Amino acid sequence: MRKHLLALGAALALSPCLMAQKIGVINSMSGPEAPIGENITNGIKLADEDLKKKGINLQLVWEDDTGKPQISMSAMEKLATRDNVVGVVGPYTSACSNAVAKLAEKYRVPLLIPAAAKEEITRQGLKYVFRMNAPADKYASSLIDAAASLGKPKSIAFIYENTDFGTSTTKTAKEYVAKKGIQIVADEPYPKGAADYRSTLAKVKSKNPDLVFMVSYVADAILLMRQSKEVGLQPQAFLGAGAGFTTTEFAKERAISESVISCTQWTNDVNWPGAKDFGTRYKAKFGKEPTYHAACAYASMMIMAETAKNAGGDRTKTRNALKAGKWNGVMGEVQFADYDGFTNQNNHQMLVQQILSGNYETVLPAQFATKKAVYPFPKWK
Amino acid sequence: MAVFLQSLISGILIGGVYALIGIGLTLIFGVMRVVNFAHGDIMMVGMYLTYLLFTLMGIDPFVSVLISFPLMFFFGGFLQKVFINRVLNAVAQNQILLTIGLGLIMSNTVMLIFTSDYKILTTSYSSSTIQVGGGVSVSTPLLISFLITAAITAALGWFLLKTDTGQAIRATAQDRDAAQLMGINVSRMSVIAFGLGAALAGTAGALISPTYYIFPQVGGTFTLKAFVITVLGGMGSVVGATLGGILIGVTESMSAVYISSGWKDVVVFVLFLLVLLFKPSGLMGKSRT
Repeated sequence: MRKHLLALGAALALSPCLMAQKIGVINSMSGPEAPIGENITNGIKLADEDLKKKGINLQLVWEDDTGKPQISMSAMEKLATRDNVVGVVGPYTSACSNAVAKLAEKYRVPLLIPAAAKEEITRQGLKYVFRMNAPADKYASSLIDAAASLGKPKSIAFIYENTDFGTSTTKTAKEYVAKKGIQIVADEPYPKGAADYRSTLAKVKSKNPDLVFMVSYVADAILLMRQSKEVGLQPQAFLGAGAGFTTTEFAKERAISESVISCTQWTNDVNWPGAKDFGTRYKAKFGKEPTYHAACAYASMMIMAETAKNAGGDRTKTRNALKAGKWNGVMGEVQFADYDGFTNQNNHQMLVQQILSGNYETVLPAQFATKKAVYPFPKWK
Repeated sequence: MAVFLQSLISGILIGGVYALIGIGLTLIFGVMRVVNFAHGDIMMVGMYLTYLLFTLMGIDPFVSVLISFPLMFFFGGFLQKVFINRVLNAVAQNQILLTIGLGLIMSNTVMLIFTSDYKILTTSYSSSTIQVGGGVSVSTPLLISFLITAAITAALGWFLLKTDTGQAIRATAQDRDAAQLMGINVSRMSVIAFGLGAALAGTAGALISPTYYIFPQVGGTFTLKAFVITVLGGMGSVVGATLGGILIGVTESMSAVYISSGWKDVVVFVLFLLVLLFKPSGLMGKSRT
């Protein structure tokens, strides 16, 4: 009998561990978006470690959506109903996040999206959907503002993949340049994965734009820049809106990526609390530089886990605490606010960067700048 | 004018590579009446072979054709002997299912080995160009691959027209039973034809890899493209496939310029439907009963 009581006591003492709160993660761990998804995975792994150090034990339930919205949705259904998670961090792509957002609202599961750009996601008045990163309109406006402050561009050409991410980023960019009085001379959506963009680029070249604005994922970004060099497209600046233009693979292709301006949610030299430290520890652990996706995912997981723990694992309380809270960490100040038609959107400060000698250097805004921007774009060698 | 010339040239050059994929498919169809839905995946295997040779041994993608061509030939021959040969007389659905299945196995095996990451081959000439004048430039790697394609197509033409084996292959394509009665070893011809088809697809993969990127699911796009090219040119016709490839390349590139890059696939398929409507057997095809 005494033995039994002891066992019971031990079980009770251990119960907080056994009943570790479950947090779901939906991410593109395989499939075409896997190279970027990997950064999110790593960021979350590092957050998990740091949370353990802080004494917050949680059980992560990982789901791979392979970059497909329908798989993302079934992952969300499983997390919400079978695994009973307190909250979910993810998914990566805009298409997946948009699909999952409505489900999160339906099941009343707090969803914190770390790095999807499509604006509509947080523009539907969904109460349970939060977003860490700045949406697509910020990509466009910060890049165009940067170009306008560096030179006097009068015309712009848009080349973008005809996906959710590409068209929504370009749509806001077009509205923004219209306000700025910059003329749109070319508007070229392309189907992802085509082998030959030369004819499109030749057409753009004939319009002689001051700025070329591109929206693409990894591989197409390299292909587009290679072929731009081939046809001799020579604007004052190449502006790459996130994704493919902010990866180390792209920066490594120095012959074609040098001096390309892009914008990002995060760099490891920015003076937000813990950002530099995060960069060094990430590099030591995973052997490569963190991308903004990693920092977004890290910050998202830290916030989600702490909030979920303080709320005692209750979904509604977690949601309310996310809405009311304010944090300051690797992503700078984070607050999920309602503004300009957005709901629960962190109004994040974008950083404008340029590839100089094969490295991403922050060039704008001035208080975060590490190098002076090169403008106009140097002649192709 | 510069834009027109530029897109015409790049259309023709990329069309050359398309043609190579199409020729392989049409050859296989001609001899065996099997539509090879694994064709794009065989091409993908060729791409990874090139990638391996380049990264592990530093062999230039264009030189590696000399190694990958025979390797892919044996791979194709193996596929034919072990799998395809068993369904030669089966109903068409079974043949389609088998080739689709083989394609899935190939792409998923490659995904297990190499993960689904995009691989990019960066050679010293990956983004170099030759200025033709008048503001028109030609991509060096694309030009080299076009020249190699032309050489291979010419060699293939010579092989099919002049050699005994080539004639035997054509005879098998013309009438399998009659060829067998004339003493031609038709099952051997089938192995050779499939091997050649696979080798051509693999070569196309090798040739496109310095300017494109590589991932396990890349095959699907090219299977569809090869299929359109083959049907457009006339099933079983090598000349037709060459023409079809270049036609598709130029159409894509022209419609990207004069309509919109987002619409180029629509234009290609409308053209495809029109050809089928007015010449159901394809451009160079002979109607069969």
